[in-house]
Amino acid sequence: MAAAIALIQLDALKSGKPSLLTVALDSVSVYAQDAAAFAGGGSRGFVEGIANAPHLAQQNGELREKNAALRSQNERLREALAQAPEAQAIEHLRAALESGTLATVVGFDPEGLSRTVTLDRGTSVGIKPDDGVIDDEGVVGRVIDASPASSTVLLVTDGASKVPAVVQRGRWWGIATGTNTSIRLEYVSQDAKLKLGDVVVTGEGRSFRAGYELGRITRIDHPEGALYQSAVVAPSVAFGRLSRVLVLAR
Amino acid sequence: MLWAANKPGETAAPAYVPDPPLWWHVALALVVALGIQATLAPYLAFRGATPSLVTLLVAWYGVRTGMLNGLAFGMIAGSSEDAIAGSTGAAWTFATGFAGLLCGRLARTWLADTKLALVPGAGLITLVRYAAFCAMLQAEGRPIPLPLLHLHVALWQSALDVAIAFVVLRTMPWLGGSDAHRR
Repeated sequence: MAAAIALIQLDALKSGKPSLLTVALDSVSVYAQDAAAFAGGGSRGFVEGIANAPHLAQQNGELREKNAALRSQNERLREALAQAPEAQAIEHLRAALESGTLATVVGFDPEGLSRTVTLDRGTSVGIKPDDGVIDDEGVVGRVIDASPASSTVLLVTDGASKVPAVVQRGRWWGIATGTNTSIRLEYVSQDAKLKLGDVVVTGEGRSFRAGYELGRITRIDHPEGALYQSAVVAPSVAFGRLSRVLVLAR
Repeated sequence: MLWAANKPGETAAPAYVPDPPLWWHVALALVVALGIQATLAPYLAFRGATPSLVTLLVAWYGVRTGMLNGLAFGMIAGSSEDAIAGSTGAAWTFATGFAGLLCGRLARTWLADTKLALVPGAGLITLVRYAAFCAMLQAEGRPIPLPLLHLHVALWQSALDVAIAFVVLRTMPWLGGSDAHRR
């Protein structure tokens, strides 16, 4: 049996595609993970609900205020859009209607050595490797592996993740590399005048169109005599409570 | 000939009687271990490391059944981890298979003289499995980013596995098997 598994896996390695064994196990495991994630999420939510009960009233008030502010902002934006030239309106509409596939995070790397998550959607709904993944807060990562029923996403905080990035304020380019807990913006030109709090967004690349938020600069390393400067970027996505994501096809 | 398992003065191969647990117990335990790790890994993490219940299970099965069964079970468990992880090729398959094989071998050494054999074994096997995993990734041409950070995580994972093995074997000593297979 061991020899059979070894041969199947080696054959798949040679061909560069996931083996039938891997695909079968993956397809079966995603349903189990889905169920476990559902059960786990429910029980966590119940416990958190009890623990956070004293803060709920205060949070509710804050959320009402935020909601009112967002409504007012939404009205202003609608008005601005209505007054914009037709070409700009079409551009806004295109951006807003960008196609994407909704998916749910159902699993994580079982050994915790890499920052990857498993989604409950795969090639059966058109997801393929290198598709970008975002949520309502910003960039989550990119698809690195897809089977019919599930796909694996490499988070932007993984050490192997590299995304072309731009500092929004000055359009300075760099490469956003994961550090396991945050993102490091590297290869930024020395003449870029970075500031703490600057928003970093994706540049036009293989997985993302330009403009998706990666995070905000929290530290700047500007060594004398070096060719480039770098910065630490706090991700805008809360990876600890990642749940619903949107997979963007390129 | 001297065997690794010999007590001082012994020269013959040690008697070793495999003591396999029921197959469906093991299969169920593997599903539960994989389910816990794949869905709760970030919540179980301590200093960036997640305890590897799969490694503990493979180590336990290897010690109870011997080298070949340990190898086969390790490869099945590793294949499942590769399927879930998605970015590791067949690295966990071979690394975990090797860990199972090694545990089967450890069962024939002095470690098997104690019911807590799995405690030092778990730490050792976690590190050996991680080293085999890194070697496999290199062989597959996949770079290991942040190797020092990964080593740090592997060391913590090893410590966590030792702690879990100790607690489990102290609270459920019957998991260590009967004394029949000991020398």
